[in-house]
Amino acid sequence: MDNKPQIVGRSIPRVDGVAKVTGAAKFAIDLSVPGMVFGAVVRSERAHAEIIDIDTRSAEQSPGVVRIITGRDLDNVVPYFGHIVLDHPILAIERTLYYGEPIALVIARSQQAATHAASQVEVEYRELPYVTDALEALKDDAPILHPQRGEVVRDLGFDAGEEGGSGNICSLASLDWGNVDSGFAAADLVIEGEFRYPMLYGYAMEPYNALAVSGEDGLTVYTTTQHPYMVRKDLARILSLPFAKVRVVVPYVGGGYGTKSYSKIEPLAAVAAQLTGLPVKVVLGVEESIHTTRSDSAIVRARSGYTAQGLLVARAFEIVLNSGAYTDNSPQVGQKAVNTCFGPYRTPALSVRMRSVFTNTVPASSLRGFGTPQGTFAGELQMDEAAERLGIDPVELRKRNLVGPGEEVIPGKRALEANLPEDLELLSKSVDWPDPGEGRASGLGLSASDSGAYPSSTALVRIHADGSASALVGATEMGQGSRTVLAQIAAQELALPMELVTIVSSDTGIGPFEQTTGASRTTTVVGRSLQAACQDARRQLRALAAEVHEVAVESVQDAPGGVLVDGTWRSFAEVIQGWFGAGGEVIGTGAIRRSGDFAETPVFWEIGAAGVIVSVDRDTGEVSVEKLATIGDVGFAINPAMVHGQDAGAALMGLGAALHEELVYEGEMLTNPNLVDYRVPRFEDLPREMDQMLVERQDGVGPYGSKGAGEGGGNAIGAAIASAIARLLGVRPRELPLTSERVWRLLQDGRIPREADDDLS
Amino acid sequence: MPMPLHPFVLHRPDSAEEVIELRSALGEDAALYAGGTELLSAMKMGAISYEHLIDVKRVPGLREIFDQDGSVHIGATATHHEIENHPVVVDRLPSLAKLTHSVANVRVRVAGTIAGNLAFGEPHADPPALLMALGGTVVVQGAKGRRSMDIAEFCVGAYETGLREDELIVEVDVPIPPPGSVATYMKFQVLERPSVGVACLGEIHDGRFTSPPRLVIGAVDEVPRLVDAAAIDGADIQDEAGMGAVCDAASRAVDPTDDLSGSADYKRHLVGVLARRVLRKLAGEP
Repeated sequence: MDNKPQIVGRSIPRVDGVAKVTGAAKFAIDLSVPGMVFGAVVRSERAHAEIIDIDTRSAEQSPGVVRIITGRDLDNVVPYFGHIVLDHPILAIERTLYYGEPIALVIARSQQAATHAASQVEVEYRELPYVTDALEALKDDAPILHPQRGEVVRDLGFDAGEEGGSGNICSLASLDWGNVDSGFAAADLVIEGEFRYPMLYGYAMEPYNALAVSGEDGLTVYTTTQHPYMVRKDLARILSLPFAKVRVVVPYVGGGYGTKSYSKIEPLAAVAAQLTGLPVKVVLGVEESIHTTRSDSAIVRARSGYTAQGLLVARAFEIVLNSGAYTDNSPQVGQKAVNTCFGPYRTPALSVRMRSVFTNTVPASSLRGFGTPQGTFAGELQMDEAAERLGIDPVELRKRNLVGPGEEVIPGKRALEANLPEDLELLSKSVDWPDPGEGRASGLGLSASDSGAYPSSTALVRIHADGSASALVGATEMGQGSRTVLAQIAAQELALPMELVTIVSSDTGIGPFEQTTGASRTTTVVGRSLQAACQDARRQLRALAAEVHEVAVESVQDAPGGVLVDGTWRSFAEVIQGWFGAGGEVIGTGAIRRSGDFAETPVFWEIGAAGVIVSVDRDTGEVSVEKLATIGDVGFAINPAMVHGQDAGAALMGLGAALHEELVYEGEMLTNPNLVDYRVPRFEDLPREMDQMLVERQDGVGPYGSKGAGEGGGNAIGAAIASAIARLLGVRPRELPLTSERVWRLLQDGRIPREADDDLS
Repeated sequence: MPMPLHPFVLHRPDSAEEVIELRSALGEDAALYAGGTELLSAMKMGAISYEHLIDVKRVPGLREIFDQDGSVHIGATATHHEIENHPVVVDRLPSLAKLTHSVANVRVRVAGTIAGNLAFGEPHADPPALLMALGGTVVVQGAKGRRSMDIAEFCVGAYETGLREDELIVEVDVPIPPPGSVATYMKFQVLERPSVGVACLGEIHDGRFTSPPRLVIGAVDEVPRLVDAAAIDGADIQDEAGMGAVCDAASRAVDPTDDLSGSADYKRHLVGVLARRVLRKLAGEP
């Protein structure tokens, strides 16, 4: 980076910080347009039923009602959405598959009028047998949710398991190498266990909402999605419109965490706008948002074989995911669980089988980490158990097995960039391993997950006639800080002060394409396409300067905020205005595809490294996290403070799942679809001490050697907490969340109460 | 799922007499409204609806907190936030100040009132148990004048109180514990509301309980339960057997149910744990 001003690598304050803390920042939920009408969703009150009749007569007479849309009004559109399988109906068609599913949309002149009329819609059901438990859904006599399967579309780019199958199988995935049978036969120690990871809701402060406007130029939807281009694809398919006639605009997103990946309420708002010709806004409450998307709960049966020296010889995992009523992103979640459950350890023989299962529950989709936390919980706890049974220190046992830098985690995939033995050393020191003092214990978790970031990205940089620059990207700012980091990259590349750089993001009508904003991709993938766009602008500026000053292009060099022409500094403004005569601008473009640095997948391995020190109130079972340590193994931190924010956020979100969070079904309904009964982390839950370490080995393919962050801490924390509790209390937790009662019961009888073990095979 | 907020008429009377007149005229179609933290949430969820709300916040003299005749008088519309920070409460009833500081969150505390808390009758609430241990009374005013009820009379059941349809709570009177006695409240909370709350008022002299402590279990049953603590009347604070007997009595005094905050036997166990802790605290242990 020579003698350019150093903008990257510094904890520059967020470019959106003041606007957000003062409430000035606009989110989709804040937007309105003249003449806007409001939708209220009528939801199913059965888990599985035929819809015999929807009586809207009384509701239609309700004051202010414009129109009521049901599944029967979807004849002229493709009534399903889904980026892997087209099986998610915009409104239930003839049959409803889960309690809380949208059945009708009442559109009225005010939200109050819409909500009032929606309560008057009468739905007549013919009840069908339902199943909410994944193992029950696998049985021969289980009710079948999808007798006919939706069309497979696979918009992802990656393989994500194999969709469909018989019965209620939503998707299958497997991973095998070596001979597992002979591995186990030769092992000195074989351990087995069944592990359960809860069904979660990734609470975002801004609930799902969308404002759809249909006009002569096509359809415009303002929404809170992470992936505007994925939503555009769904909407174009539903309404048979070219991409050019579908504009998806995303202002700031009030929390995403993967829960706002792909389409949610946008198809319904868009169809409503199309049918009424009016701008339609649909805003869901928290309870409705919980009935829109949740994460896949998991049952993982794991078997691991070791030599007496603690070396892994074979591992086998059977994973069953409860994936809810529709496919959504569960195949990718399942594939990720398969690819990560065995951990970043040298495993001579491996067999992993995953079944994602349809049930009459809220459809599951992405949540921070995809399937990694689910599988890692099982894999890491077995490393601990093996260490204990072999009389080897768990850190030492991990070191003996860890994949080293440059070695493959999965044959044929990109080799691991990170130095995990060094990370583990740092982590164990931070949590005072092995003995953090009387009444306390330490626990550790490690994971390396193959980022699901598909390398398909474009960026534009406009160097304006006054020398300032706008960078256009399709990356969504959802609190992770993408606008700040991307502005830092553009400012660095153009050697401009931050104040002269603006990021314009996530508007499919104006900005360039981006596959998604997920899988921790933005810094790495968008950063590189933006770098390429800046370099392209630089190249054009040198050519323009050469023409203006009538010199060979070779005698023009890049300089901060301008160029050197035969040693004389000329600003960008001077070059642009000189070439155009008046006004003008230079537009640089950049693109990343699966080639060059990005030919190999995954684009990077996201490292999860979390350690804790816990104490437990033995009378009540209440767990206190005395210390939380995370490692941001990010190659290069473009903004260290924001890496810390991501690591802390991921770990604390994972702490919620580890100790408190779980959506609970009783009969056909959720018992806790609200924030009073669904317990997200609070400030009082913050660990007493936080140690956030940064490891920068410039080993990523992103700008300046960077790679992704934002999920890692959450992938490993569940295992870390359970491991610490196990060490402290001499029990073996195998189910999250470790609520006070569960811990108390473990202390009472050494086991967690559970329904009779079902056979997974 | 979202329910339409049922339309209602908001009355904003300026005197207690007007409130009582409205109450008499409107009967069960009307609810008193102060902070609204419980009432409005329940109305928005569609759990309850009223044709009329009578806002009591403009009634003069209902918000004062003062110390008179050995009691702290807390006006009905004093907010939790005012109570927890009021010098008289902090000085004379530190246990109540501390409890109030732990009610819900600061947004609730700046709006919610003590009378509203009691009148709503939410079983999983903090104040009733401690008020019962302290011997607090609820003073109400009706067409026929004032009367007062102790907590056992007032807390009748889940969302049921002794307040009549034509009455208004005017204040809550809490006797100042005699010198040498100690009042304590401890709770165990998983979700938004306490799953177990245990309050205790007692006195230790020369290492002995001078009388049976007033031990009350709140937030478990529909109403707070006073525990028979006779087993440690005059007992030494080291009397493990007596202490154990009282904790067992506490566990038996309640009839918990399984819910999201815990199973019945866990909550029963917690009652015993907290009972022991409040007694230990009384004995001066941390």
